[in-house]
Amino acid sequence: MKSSVSTREMRRLYRTMVTIRKFETLAGELFAAGKIPGFIHLSIGQEASSVGVCSVLRPDDYIATTHRGHGHVIAKGGDLKKMIAELIGRKTGYCKGKGGSMHIADFSLGILGANGVVGGGFPIIIGAGLSIKLRHTDQVAVCFFGDGASNRGTFHEAMNMASIWKLPILFVCENNCYASTTPTSYACSVTNIAARAAGYNIPGVTVDGNDILAVREAAGQAVDRARRGEGPTLLENKTYRRRGHFEGDPQKYRTRAEVAEWEKNDPLLRFASVLKKKKLLTGEMEKEIQKQVDGELKDAVAFAEQSEWPNPEEALEDMFINP
Amino acid sequence: MPERMISCAVAICEALTEEMARDEAIFIIGEDLVAHGGIFGQFKGLPERFPGRVIDSPISESCIVGAGLGAALTGMRPLVDMHFADFVTCAMDEIVNQTAKIRYMFGGQVKVPLVIWAPDGAGLSAAAHHSQSLESWFIHAPGLKVVVPSEPADVKGLLKAAIRDDDPVIFFQHKKLFAREGPVPEGEHIVPLGKAAVKRPGGSVTILTYGSGFYMSMEAANELAGMGIEAEVIDLRTLKPLDFETIADSIKKTNRAVVVHEACLSGGFGAEVSARINSELFDYLDAPVLRVAAKDVPIPFSPRLENFVLPKVEDVIKAVRQVTYR
Amino acid sequence: MATTVIMPKLGLTMKEGTIEKWLKQEGDRVEKGEPLVEIITEKLNFQYESPASGILRKILHHEGKVVPVTTPIAIIAEEGEALPEFEAIKSEVPIEAPMPAAAVRKEMKEHRERIFASPVARKIAQEKGIDLSLLKGSGPGGRIIQTDVISAVERVQTEGARPSVPAQKPADKLIPLKGIRKIIARRMTESFRDTPHFYLSVEVDMSAVQDLKERVKDEVEKRAKVRLTLTDILVKVVASALKEHPIINSRIEGDQIRLLEEINVGVAIALDDGLIVPVVHRADQKSLTEIASVIRNLTRRARRGKLTLEDVGGGTFTLSNMGMLGIDKINPIINPPECSILGVGRTVEKPVVQGGEIKIKPMAWFSLSSDHRIVDGAAAGLFLNHIHKIIENPDLLLV
Repeated sequence: MKSSVSTREMRRLYRTMVTIRKFETLAGELFAAGKIPGFIHLSIGQEASSVGVCSVLRPDDYIATTHRGHGHVIAKGGDLKKMIAELIGRKTGYCKGKGGSMHIADFSLGILGANGVVGGGFPIIIGAGLSIKLRHTDQVAVCFFGDGASNRGTFHEAMNMASIWKLPILFVCENNCYASTTPTSYACSVTNIAARAAGYNIPGVTVDGNDILAVREAAGQAVDRARRGEGPTLLENKTYRRRGHFEGDPQKYRTRAEVAEWEKNDPLLRFASVLKKKKLLTGEMEKEIQKQVDGELKDAVAFAEQSEWPNPEEALEDMFINP
Repeated sequence: MPERMISCAVAICEALTEEMARDEAIFIIGEDLVAHGGIFGQFKGLPERFPGRVIDSPISESCIVGAGLGAALTGMRPLVDMHFADFVTCAMDEIVNQTAKIRYMFGGQVKVPLVIWAPDGAGLSAAAHHSQSLESWFIHAPGLKVVVPSEPADVKGLLKAAIRDDDPVIFFQHKKLFAREGPVPEGEHIVPLGKAAVKRPGGSVTILTYGSGFYMSMEAANELAGMGIEAEVIDLRTLKPLDFETIADSIKKTNRAVVVHEACLSGGFGAEVSARINSELFDYLDAPVLRVAAKDVPIPFSPRLENFVLPKVEDVIKAVRQVTYR
Repeated sequence: MATTVIMPKLGLTMKEGTIEKWLKQEGDRVEKGEPLVEIITEKLNFQYESPASGILRKILHHEGKVVPVTTPIAIIAEEGEALPEFEAIKSEVPIEAPMPAAAVRKEMKEHRERIFASPVARKIAQEKGIDLSLLKGSGPGGRIIQTDVISAVERVQTEGARPSVPAQKPADKLIPLKGIRKIIARRMTESFRDTPHFYLSVEVDMSAVQDLKERVKDEVEKRAKVRLTLTDILVKVVASALKEHPIINSRIEGDQIRLLEEINVGVAIALDDGLIVPVVHRADQKSLTEIASVIRNLTRRARRGKLTLEDVGGGTFTLSNMGMLGIDKINPIINPPECSILGVGRTVEKPVVQGGEIKIKPMAWFSLSSDHRIVDGAAAGLFLNHIHKIIENPDLLLV
């Protein structure tokens, strides 16, 4: 049974997806222009998963995200200025330039950090779930991860623990068909990652991850279960990673044809089409949203580029509270 | 403050009872804790006294530490029991990559008030996977504090301090010391992190030690006194942050040092202390700094073999005589 | 504003100075112009005045320390003022900088025989002035250890310079070898050890010089406002002779001899705490009046400790007149780096044989010590002879 989504919310969902898409595209451009040190991992094509799940969360709910986490952070309400400043290593960034793309966090929004270790989020989300239980609140903790991470030991430990203690956790697997250069079809023992949930006595749900309303519906149900104390759910959003594993990836492990095929399954185009059919979105509104988002990103870039670099000595700070 | 003789195990219990009564955010998680209050009885009475706050977990070290970490990030003050220090390896990512780095990596946004507690040490024929002393690994992971007490009073005082500290602390305690008794003050007793203790003053040589090495050193010091060599035994207690000032004051007086630890020699904490003494106290040294440690092999099972590998009182005496040229 | 006091450059060639005595202690108030510290250079003892008023907040180098010119030695500031950072005393955390390989190799080549000593043994040895090369180490591999150095220090303290004297002798007085005494000790040792001295003496008839003195002393006194002395005349005689014998007005420099253009005659003066040799510059170009005036001025200032480096620097020959002390003959030690030194004894009436007859004449011994590396007996002898000739016939000064 689909719960109804308000018009306002529909538009907000769309706008957020546009923001993520444009942010990621911009990040790719900044990276190509040599403005982002290190490497970045873009989530273009996976917007429905981030936005759909985060749209049913409260500000005090927790998420743990991954090296491909820009979309999750934006969906959870992250500040674009601080994000770009962090990407280019300025001291006004979320982590004062100490984290970079793979380690963005905003604890005020319940974002427990992006992790550079694949599968590093599971143990932390168990801790968050346990903490919610011990404190007797009705918060929920969400762990975003990829198909590759579901092969790590930490995934299995976490599924088991979350199950036995009925922790209020939503495990969201964004199955985007590849773990770096390795196809899911090769590395995973099951076709649907959600099938693994059965082994832990947890409900597992597979969803068309590029259908934002479907994602939102499934996530909403799982979150409600968790809040009621009924325990964790494993939600598998089937989607596709449109760019390489990292920017600059030669992508020899897949064909252009395959990528092109998935472009037709673009979550933004699909949702725009749905909205237009429901007359909730016009061509002008689309353009207006694009313009606004472009403006916000432009401001964010300007803010970041005008920000100071951190002093070298700051590298020694933020170790201990009591040194 | 009046003192009474209690064992390390009782000291731990006291520390935790007091702290858990004081702060509801404190809980303990680990394997096999509820039935007997821990495999060494170290949490005896706590599961009953604080229902729901001593949590048995499946054998999932990564997620045990992760549970502690995630809870620490979201307002709690957990103590994670590693069962045996040897199993830290199963959670190295969570300890070294996550716990140690999160505060720094995220620009100081959050604190990590986590205590990772691990019984370690050899001498019980527990063999290679249940006998290690791994504290020096964690010296090498910036972002962790490392505590290794020896006497019950320090176990109690430092555990309380570690729990109250807002930074992550990894706390090693020798298995053999659970039963060891020692004087512990009545009432509130907290030993600050980062402070060494001169437990036996002397002018002839500085012995730097911690954990089980402390007892070896004290015994050696008694014997050395009979030879007219008065050893100053310093129990380091906290390895990181290290109280180098106390070490320096002593070496400036005695002009020579011997480091004693049960961990194996190569890359052991003695190497780190030695290097620091060399660079900061060179002009005060009358002899090179010597280290007394276990041999560089996994801990063997058979008692004779194990005994051969581990450092002994006579090794300490020999080293002291070398640096005092006696 | 805090003022940094530096080791002052008190003369053209001064490179370093010894802090002899702090006249103010840390925490004392000091006024600008007040004597702050006594500094000893190669040649003299100097009271350096404070360049600023304030509190002597920090002494950076203590008594006995030898410090290069312009090195900060103290800080004067007001109470509570922030002080500049100095690494003069000790650095907290030494930075480990690996020595470049070439430097290590060079150092090893220079140490033909490495002395193995523990760091603290070396430190104590340096502080107490113990020569490690004289010690036998009791550590492994012959390593000199702390107890070895401490024993050596104790031995030096109890035995001292008179090993046969028993330890308890309350009547003995100890004078530390420091300041000007220390400098003289070092320089004279070096001179005596490194310069092959040889000595030539001649007994000279002083009657002609005495006559000259009688004849000109009033005029000199009128012009210079000082009384003419024998020393003044001797300086003129010596300067004149040096002009004719440039090889004596010289010094050794490495493997060459430098014949000096200026003739600067130093006059040895005995002060309470030691010998000082102020110099009459270009003595050959000065009249007796000028020489007398200069020497008296130098002597007065010397007695007040107010000589400058220029006053004692640049000497090319030294004159030591021991006559006033009633000494017959002196074989003085050369004042390095000069070639020769002339010692003159007292004038005594003696019977001498002249022209087959016994006459009573005022005679004095003139002794010339010379550096055999520069001159042989012949050259030195000719010079001394020349002096002899002038003394016995001072009219030759006009020629």
